[in-house]
Amino acid sequence: MKGLLRNNIYGTLSNAKVFAGFMILYGIFGVAVISQSVQIGYVMIGIIGFSVSAIIVAKNEFTTKWGKYKLTLPVRRADIVKSQFLNQVIWLLAGSCFVGIELGLSWLFHGCLFDQPIDILTLFALAISMSLFMGAIFFPLFYAGGEEKGEVFWMIAILCAFGIDYTIVTILNSMLEPGITCILCGAAALIVSSLAAFGVSYMVTIRIFMHREY
Amino acid sequence: MENILELQQVSKTFSKSNFTLDHVSFSLPYGSIMGFVGENGAGKTTTIGCILNTIAKDAGAVKLFGKEMLDTDTDIREKIGVVYDGDNFPGHWTAEQLSKVMQGFYTNWDDALFCKYLKDFQLTPRQRIKHYSRGMTMKLAIAAALSHHPQLLILDEATSGLDPIMRDEMLDVFLDFVQEEDHSILLSSHITSDLEKVADYITFIHNGRLIMTVSKNDLVYHYAVMRCKESQFLALERNDIIAYRKRDFQIDVLVADGKEAQRKYKDVVVDHVSLDEIMLLLVKGERV
Repeated sequence: MKGLLRNNIYGTLSNAKVFAGFMILYGIFGVAVISQSVQIGYVMIGIIGFSVSAIIVAKNEFTTKWGKYKLTLPVRRADIVKSQFLNQVIWLLAGSCFVGIELGLSWLFHGCLFDQPIDILTLFALAISMSLFMGAIFFPLFYAGGEEKGEVFWMIAILCAFGIDYTIVTILNSMLEPGITCILCGAAALIVSSLAAFGVSYMVTIRIFMHREY
Repeated sequence: MENILELQQVSKTFSKSNFTLDHVSFSLPYGSIMGFVGENGAGKTTTIGCILNTIAKDAGAVKLFGKEMLDTDTDIREKIGVVYDGDNFPGHWTAEQLSKVMQGFYTNWDDALFCKYLKDFQLTPRQRIKHYSRGMTMKLAIAAALSHHPQLLILDEATSGLDPIMRDEMLDVFLDFVQEEDHSILLSSHITSDLEKVADYITFIHNGRLIMTVSKNDLVYHYAVMRCKESQFLALERNDIIAYRKRDFQIDVLVADGKEAQRKYKDVVVDHVSLDEIMLLLVKGERV
């Protein structure tokens, strides 16, 4: 597992370095200006962007024979899948830290730019949920549908993740009265449903990957 | 347990391409090198895929170190080194990073040995792999395959991207590797001259079927090709013919015992035969 995680981290780093550069510049801009929209954009792009960098690693491994070569190494197929899901969680957390620092600095200089501080929680829940749904949709599609269609699958995964979260939020808003309960329930529903989807997807992906031939 | 690798009636059909690997059986003894020869698309990579479990066989058995290797048998894979044709590793890595990753996979990874190979093969550890030439990437893959002290090397067209000098260097490395009695190599290649230099056994495969496995000494010292006229060919006993190929004014006939053929058919020219010619006769000729 150590080798797999190192492999994924090295793989993600090459993309994440470029993305982190962009996020630093965007972060400086975000701290400099007083804008709620910029902050919302930063949270969404930061967390989802790092997650995309992580899932793209799986796709890139099949541009060389490394994806096939890994199967000849002393690791189980289930561990390969596990490492990819773990890698996504690691980069999701990295993205969250990045975003957290920027929001913290912005708050330090300008105070809270949101209507109420709890909105930040909702925003984090939404971005994390979208990232988890994206991974949950991408990995089984990727292994079932073929590695050469990786780009299409991650675009489908992002759109579906957005659609699912939008549906959840819409349903909850129609069911609950506006207020703190609605916000907390919404955030919990987003996190719990995406975590459940991520868990189910992990098991489905293992089943698919066990039968893949290279 | 005298074979490091055994294939028994291994079959695999790809319905989309209509290709079938048809009941392939052979064994690789400890301490030897087996050349696995066949034209492009003959089934070499599919066979290797079945051995390494990257492809699920439909039928038959593959035994590595006397045991069928399952996905969970990581201890068996610790003892195998693999090199594929082309880019084995991500291009944005350096050899140094590759070593760090491999340390995480293999309990026996020997960083000092890997560095020695890098030095011997004149590979720069901090250069990105994508900036290596094709020959350098193949040498890196061979270095990586050897640096965890494997007992079995499986090389799929590993020398095909190398120039003759580099190939010769690599063949020396392979010969050095099999100095240990419990080390073996399965070397798939269509560069038959390499196999003539190093292989102890040659296995021929064509259209997914195993044509024959024979020791190289037999091939060199006994196998021969008879250059026959039509009338001479008709006079041959069918049992003596392995394969024949009609050419403009003669028929080339592959026989298993050149000396015996010369004794039996005195008026026929009998020549030594190269692996290339054997492959041509087996693939393009007709078999009896």
